[in-house]
Amino acid sequence: MRDSDALENNPHVSRSALEAIHGQVYGWALSRCDFDHATAEDLMQQAYVELLSGSARFDNKSTLKTFVFAVVQNLARSRFRRVSSRLRLVKQYAEESVTDAVEPAANDEVWRAVRALPARQRDIIELVFCRELTVEQAAAVMGVATGTGRVHYDRAKKALRSRLQDWAEET
Amino acid sequence: MQDSQDTLRDAVEDAFRGAAGHRQPSFDRLWRKAEQKHRNSRRRYRWFAGTAATAAAVVIALSLQTPADQDAYIEIAELLESTYWSAPSDVLLPDREFDIYQDLPVLFESTEPAEGALL
Repeated sequence: MRDSDALENNPHVSRSALEAIHGQVYGWALSRCDFDHATAEDLMQQAYVELLSGSARFDNKSTLKTFVFAVVQNLARSRFRRVSSRLRLVKQYAEESVTDAVEPAANDEVWRAVRALPARQRDIIELVFCRELTVEQAAAVMGVATGTGRVHYDRAKKALRSRLQDWAEET
Repeated sequence: MQDSQDTLRDAVEDAFRGAAGHRQPSFDRLWRKAEQKHRNSRRRYRWFAGTAATAAAVVIALSLQTPADQDAYIEIAELLESTYWSAPSDVLLPDREFDIYQDLPVLFESTEPAEGALL
């Protein structure tokens, strides 16, 4: 069924449905680019362009939210692959080191524990705990098998509990 | 167990919320920008496609075009004027198209026997 505000090149996607998940997708985009708001806005805008043009075509096989999260993830991957190869070139020709992305202001113990997780564990924890996806949906967004997703999820929870427990005992 | 899971979830959620800050761009603003970008790229694509199609049409038209007064068959005289074939042995002749048979000896019928045979 086609919504009244469905996109011309993406009949299963409507503007209002995208607006409803905008906040969560923005949070995901933000964590994709190390909490740099300008880059996150750029990513979101590009994701919307992909949906408008039909380059990213939603076929109703998953939820719209999972699909848009995966679009953002893929855009971020391809963008940072380009950026990192440029950075490698810069490092090769200049002796001074290139500074890392800006560290967010939050520096409490939980945040440090989350940041210490391997990337995939951090991603799945974010998707399940903060973006309200199931482990299956999160695995689909990350492009891994559901079983692999579960393993990352369990290990992440275990690692977080252990770190926070250590911290609680120290204080 | 569920309590501990919920506590962990809340703590992680708070940590992410703190890291993200409160700044969030409005959907309308980003959507408008995306629409504008999409429109511009579509316009550019149309312009390129139009130009390419026109150029292709011109090239095809020029290649298909033949002069109206041109005959469909070959004029032998024109062909002979425009082509020249020379055999490898021609270079041995003193002049081009030299008639090598111009001084053919005239043979007369013999009526005189010579050594038992007619010449």
